Amino acid sequence: MESRLQKIFFALSFLALALIIAAAWQANTPTWKTYQHNFLQLEAQGEPNAVTKAAVLATPPEVHQVMLTGLQRVDRCTTCHLGAEDPTMKDAPEPFRYHANLGPHISSKFGCTICHGGQGLATDKEGAHGKVDFWPNPLLSKDYIRASCGRCHKEGEVPGVPELTEGRRLFETQGCRGCHKLNGVGGSIGPDLTAEGANHRAPEWLERHFLSPNAVSSGSAMPNFHFTTEQARDLTYYMLSLTSEEMGTYYSSVRLIPGPEYGRQLFVEKNCIACHMVGGIGAKTGPDLLGVTKRHSTEWLDEQLVNPELVYPGSSMPAYDLEPNARKALLAYLDSATPDDVQLILSHKTRALSPEDVAIEAGKQDFARFGCVGCHGTELQGGVANPNAQGGEVPSLLHVSDDYTKDEVIAIIRNGRAPPLDNASGPTPPLYMPSWKHVLSDEDIHRIADYLWSKQQKKAKDSW
Amino acid sequence: MHLIRDIWQSIVRRDPLSTDKGKSELVFLNVWLHIHPAKVKKENLKFRHTFYLGFITFFLFLILVTTGIALMCYYRPFPPQAYQDMKDLQFVVFMGPFLRNMHRWAAHGMVVCVFLHMCRVFYTGSYKKPRQFNWVVGVFLLLLTLGLSFTGYLLPWDQLAYWAITVGTNIGSYAPFIGGQLRELLLGGHSVGEAALIRFYVLHVAVLPAAVILLTIVHFWRVRKDGGLSRPVWKLKPQKAEALVTIGAPATTAALQATAASSTKTYGLMEVVTGKPIFETVTPEEEEDTVFSYPYAFVREAVALMATVTTIMTMSLFLNAPLEELANPAKTPNPAKAPWYFLGLQELVSHSALLGGVVAPALMVIALLAIPYLDRNPSRRPGDRKWALWLFTFFVIANLALIVLGTFFRGPGWALVPPWVHVVGGAE
Repeated sequence: MESRLQKIFFALSFLALALIIAAAWQANTPTWKTYQHNFLQLEAQGEPNAVTKAAVLATPPEVHQVMLTGLQRVDRCTTCHLGAEDPTMKDAPEPFRYHANLGPHISSKFGCTICHGGQGLATDKEGAHGKVDFWPNPLLSKDYIRASCGRCHKEGEVPGVPELTEGRRLFETQGCRGCHKLNGVGGSIGPDLTAEGANHRAPEWLERHFLSPNAVSSGSAMPNFHFTTEQARDLTYYMLSLTSEEMGTYYSSVRLIPGPEYGRQLFVEKNCIACHMVGGIGAKTGPDLLGVTKRHSTEWLDEQLVNPELVYPGSSMPAYDLEPNARKALLAYLDSATPDDVQLILSHKTRALSPEDVAIEAGKQDFARFGCVGCHGTELQGGVANPNAQGGEVPSLLHVSDDYTKDEVIAIIRNGRAPPLDNASGPTPPLYMPSWKHVLSDEDIHRIADYLWSKQQKKAKDSW
Repeated sequence: MHLIRDIWQSIVRRDPLSTDKGKSELVFLNVWLHIHPAKVKKENLKFRHTFYLGFITFFLFLILVTTGIALMCYYRPFPPQAYQDMKDLQFVVFMGPFLRNMHRWAAHGMVVCVFLHMCRVFYTGSYKKPRQFNWVVGVFLLLLTLGLSFTGYLLPWDQLAYWAITVGTNIGSYAPFIGGQLRELLLGGHSVGEAALIRFYVLHVAVLPAAVILLTIVHFWRVRKDGGLSRPVWKLKPQKAEALVTIGAPATTAALQATAASSTKTYGLMEVVTGKPIFETVTPEEEEDTVFSYPYAFVREAVALMATVTTIMTMSLFLNAPLEELANPAKTPNPAKAPWYFLGLQELVSHSALLGGVVAPALMVIALLAIPYLDRNPSRRPGDRKWALWLFTFFVIANLALIVLGTFFRGPGWALVPPWVHVVGGAE
């Protein structure tokens, strides 16, 4: 018995040794070493003589990695994709092929996964391409990679990616903010989209969702906006680009140069002149902006653009969802704005604006910007389906003055309202009027009401 | 040559192992081995008496300490670096996955073996007088093992870790009055976050291992001081059965006699103490039933050690420790489950938070601690303790059944879903 036990002990000891050797062997033969070996052979083919060939082949295998602190990631993709930066590898087979058209996006500064997705830390193919369990961010297919441009290029036109520019424009004009928050501005009927890209939904899912929300997400309250397939793709691009990741200064500063030209564009786009004047030219609701950059510090002005209420409690200026660089650009423009230039901007408007018109115009802006158009329509026509609400759809606002006084409408905007039911025992309609009193100032609400009243159409019998 | 011999003899001072004196001295002149007796009872070496579960648990603990120290070299206990370090272990550290797998499987193995060890001790009645207190120490070691496993569970900082600890600590917070504060103390806040990770890390690598080591020393010491391992009941000789079944003092109540001091011998303290020992003693007639620890006990322990090590290594070569997505407090998996050994509790909590989360576990721990004092029946024979065996078996089966139910039969919303049914959809 004792000698048998001793034999068992030695056998188990050898087994343990064998297991350690097996584990070491397993650790020592990862697939990336095979790729590196193949790559060296490929490289050696191009060498003129045996000595240099041998030198190339003698390169020790190692993990290549790019530490990207500014992007909070480490990419090891070039451990296998060895020819990505070598133009002589432009016809090489994958994974060694040269990556053309990178422009300024060199891999030592950007890595790979910020655009392509995938798991930069991994050193095996399946893991690195992210097609494994528990890695929510697999490689983006060719059709959607360019959506990643929007992760740094957060504003202005993104060269070569019209989808993003159009997606953003659709988001701001179709009233998406009526239900969805983005960077803190918007309604709360739908999910907050500030970091929608970080939810890693499949692009195909998003696209189908925009074409028909209920087809992929049953019971969704989101109305069908009847987008075209192109528009659905544009919006998908925009959604994929929305992440709340902190990008390092290097990356956020390449978004665009915050020059006065872009600032002027924003000044026109955001219609600052609807409330403000420059050197006496413009509207009188807000303060004159001539020389404003001399009167206040940059920080003060920046805060004013982010959160006006904080600077001046009760300020009637709305909070604009502007990127830091957009704010810089706007301030750069204000620094150089002249009354003549503003006159030029105003002259492009169809007619000179009276103070009343200015208020109505501001109301219209609010109506679009805060997403009222999402349900009530860009022309106040309503008509978005809302099952079991009276009439089965969101009401048109063109005749609202027939049934309500202005004060009643203001109260509804302030406090919100559940729609009256078609069938009292039926299900709750998915859409309802949210309360806006915490989002909009009283001034804004009054302006929206003014805008509505300016658009009222009398019923046929009244006009008769 | 003399120098080498001198150095060797300065280290090893025992007689040659071929002599009985040498075999004894190997044990009691060596600080690491002297926790063993020089001679052990033959029956106690029988595999089917103890299944070596105590040793295996101890060996698993040694594996955990070794691999754990190695893992500490690669780990930073703050999010999200903690998770990245897991990925680095997986992808770039040489033998990193093997190391982590060994730690993981040894940890699960230790929870299992501690439990089985406790069952063995119960079924053989080895918690009875004079071993009551060592059973209590053992229960605390069980709790510490669960604590070690639970604190280690959070460290990878993935979804599995994050939500298991969230659910696990929520169970604790159902305790009236102090539950909430206890949870806050453990987490360093109201939810699992950076503060919780560093606290769990400190508990896992310093506080709890130190406590386990201290209690293990007491546990081993008491095994010796309580008279060694209990003898298998079936080996008790008929004429001695009465005396040995009622473990404790030898049959005679006379005071031990002190032998006359001999001038050729030095005496240890225990040899001059007179009076009745409180623990089991080996009577002269039992002497024939004993063998030297070297090699009989040591070779068996060595085999148990290597069997444990090779089992864990084999598992680690083929089975990878799970690592899910980075912890995301905004994304609750459905269902969120506690670590498997707490799933019985979670199952109870799903029926009643107070009963399942507080009353049941508290009663369970109190009952376990009180077993040796409540069970007044001195007999260790299974035939004499039917009630105790049935009760304990019910306790074991109920625990296992609840864990199996929680692990395999609970789906989204904690609904009853058999494991062979695939739930489509889930979170979205």
